[in-house]
Amino acid sequence: MAAGVAAWLPFARAAAIGWMPVAGAPMPVPPPGKHRRQEGLIMLNVSGTKFQTWRDTLERYPDTLLGSTERDFFFHEETNEYFFDRDPDIFRHILNFYRTGKLHYPRQECISAYDEELAFFGIIPEIIGDCCYEEYKDRRRENQERIQDDEDMDQTNDLVAADLSFRETMWRAFENPHTSTMALVFYYVTGFFIAVSVLANVVETVPCGPGPNRVKEVSCGDRYALAFFCLDTACVMIFTVEYLLRLLAAPSRYKFVKSVMSIIDVVAIMPYYIGLVMTDNEDVSGAFVTLRVFRVFRIFKFSRHSAGLRILGYTLKSCASELGFLLFSLTMAIIIFATVMFYAEKGSSASKFTSIPAAFWYTIVTMTTLGYGDMVPKTIMGKIFGSVCSLSGVLVIALPVPVIVSNFSRIYHQSQRAEKRRAQKKTRLARIHAVKSGGANAYLQYKQSRLLIDLDEEASKEAGQALVCKANPGFEVHHHHLLHCLEKTTNHEFVDEKTYEASYRDVTLVNQVSHSSSTSSTSSPHGLSSCCSRRKRKTFNVPNSNMSVGLQGSIQELSTIQIRDRPFTNSRSSRSSLNAKFEETVPLNCDQSYITAAVISMPTPPGTTPEGDDSTSSTNYSQANIVRVSAL
Amino acid sequence: GLLLGAATLKNTLLEKDAGDSVEDELELSAVRHRPEGLEQLEAQTRFSRKELQILYRGFKNECPSGVVNEETFKDIYSQFFPQGDASTYAHFLFNAFDTDHNGSVSFEDFVMGLSILLRGTIQEKLNWAFNLYDINKDGYITKEEMLDIMKAIYDMMGKCTYPVLKEETPRQHVEVFFQKMDKNKDGVVTIDEFIDCCQNDENIMRSMHLFENVL
Repeated sequence: MAAGVAAWLPFARAAAIGWMPVAGAPMPVPPPGKHRRQEGLIMLNVSGTKFQTWRDTLERYPDTLLGSTERDFFFHEETNEYFFDRDPDIFRHILNFYRTGKLHYPRQECISAYDEELAFFGIIPEIIGDCCYEEYKDRRRENQERIQDDEDMDQTNDLVAADLSFRETMWRAFENPHTSTMALVFYYVTGFFIAVSVLANVVETVPCGPGPNRVKEVSCGDRYALAFFCLDTACVMIFTVEYLLRLLAAPSRYKFVKSVMSIIDVVAIMPYYIGLVMTDNEDVSGAFVTLRVFRVFRIFKFSRHSAGLRILGYTLKSCASELGFLLFSLTMAIIIFATVMFYAEKGSSASKFTSIPAAFWYTIVTMTTLGYGDMVPKTIMGKIFGSVCSLSGVLVIALPVPVIVSNFSRIYHQSQRAEKRRAQKKTRLARIHAVKSGGANAYLQYKQSRLLIDLDEEASKEAGQALVCKANPGFEVHHHHLLHCLEKTTNHEFVDEKTYEASYRDVTLVNQVSHSSSTSSTSSPHGLSSCCSRRKRKTFNVPNSNMSVGLQGSIQELSTIQIRDRPFTNSRSSRSSLNAKFEETVPLNCDQSYITAAVISMPTPPGTTPEGDDSTSSTNYSQANIVRVSAL
Repeated sequence: GLLLGAATLKNTLLEKDAGDSVEDELELSAVRHRPEGLEQLEAQTRFSRKELQILYRGFKNECPSGVVNEETFKDIYSQFFPQGDASTYAHFLFNAFDTDHNGSVSFEDFVMGLSILLRGTIQEKLNWAFNLYDINKDGYITKEEMLDIMKAIYDMMGKCTYPVLKEETPRQHVEVFFQKMDKNKDGVVTIDEFIDCCQNDENIMRSMHLFENVL
């Protein structure tokens, strides 16, 4: 019920007096009268923008935040108003909803921001008025698709190889060839064989010169029958193996068998087997010849290799209704014109229009403006109708085609945008990581300073305290304390990326320069930070990222970094002074606050690590047999 | 090009003229449907100033032009009875509110009617009810008029009722009503019969006071 109408409830109730004399039975007791409704204005302060409205206006919708007692939580005594720390621009629309009963969606606002505000104020989006509902739904759908795309991408990248069973690895390799070298090899090999097979099919029909014992020209297929047969066998074997492997690896075999690609696979290899089974029977071989036509379906296997083909297929599928309409209207037109032409040409002698179905061919050729000229009207009426036919053909075909084209264009652009987003995502995440690791850095610095304070009182106290005072405003201090508590709780510690990678490589402990490194680091606060300096990270990261891009095939992909059990030696500086801590075997937590879609390269050969790095600190890291990095 | 320019010029001038007259009409209509001042309404009805303010705000919200026409009236009333069809009864109600019979209910009409219903004496209320039932306003309620009213009321119930609504239920109800009200059995109910009878009926008396605290 529209809320504005709620204001008319008193009227409706009063009008009920009209029923009273007619009623036979006594009326029910009215509900207890409302307490004298507080009549008054309510002040709403939304991030500084003041709104005012009647209390009654808000209470029209008692199941929303503003209309219920929930708003009391936001009451600000000092200023006697309700304060909301939200977006005032969107709040304007929400308040208008109370006033007019219609919720509008402003086109220039971001859809997720708008949704959030609606959710906060307890308003369901379905109330959006007709004027804006379509736009809202469209934007929402686009947003969902985008999120879905991102999630799909994440999902495919999220699984860590070693955790999957062999079967799942195989399936991932099939679906996404870039996951490993083997997959890539397989991808190219199958692609090559598809091409070879299609080529062979084509070439074997080319005339190849006279046969060995004949005068007549024979096709290459007949001349080199054995060679082609062997080629075909090889291709079919490869395809069969591929199909069986896919079938084996599919997570849901039933779904796989039903899918279009698998049907194409089966259709592509079936003719060969059927041919093997069939004898050289005359009748049957006729059918066998037609069966060979199905070999051309192998070309559709390329759609696994080409995204564009898939898009085309998807477009055609989504434009099914337009295509259907096109077909239907064409059929109607063809029948009409064929009939007309047949009767028009009936009179003329030696007319090619022997029957209406015969006239179909003429109509189709004319409407599509092909005009072969094998059938032409000779009578005047025939010519008149023929020209009408060709003119209308242009129209009928031209109408649904733009719809299909625009559909294709939309889907194509969507997929392009998805690709672009994926490409941008890597750089975006890298930047976010750099910023966040700054935070991680701060904490690690803080830890360093604290540990040094604990252990090396005299020398480091000043430096450490200086560091602490310099780097830590109020929030930071509490934040660091919190992280420290977490460390103590989980018995794990935070380390940085380099350390983690170094340890994951399983480099043997190098009992080196603990003391020297610690002293060198204590001498300068900057040296302290050298362990986890951004500078260093950058120089290290660059070869890392290069490798990740270049050695995709050879790198074992790790998308999220997990917790492993490894014997660990304590982190840099503490290790430096506390040899006793070497014995600790508790794995550490690394403060990697991002789920990286980037590839963490495993086999960084030890040689590349110290590139441009301070040798002491790098060896410090190599000592850390630490592992895991959890996404915080 | 010259011809085209001349034609468009003429068109715009004509449109302007038409626009002017339309605007005049609109202005007139807007002026016409502004209610009388708050003091006057306060004097004429039994509502306080605040109550009138609340009423007007609700009224104006739903009908920004200041008057309710029958369509809007039906719409609003129907929203209170989603299961049935309230349009017929709303039609009768509209006629009861539209005291000057000009096809639209202004705020004054609205508030006068409400004043009677919510704050009036028993006599006034019964008078109003009689006026509602007397569709052709001739001073007599005939069986046909009562049947129409009854059907309209039952229509508001809709289909899904318990027990199931039968065809003859309204008619039976009218019979009962006439038996009670029509003292001299002349087939019509006059205003005096009506008021007399209602005043003697306890249930009806009690129900007249039902909605007094609505506002």
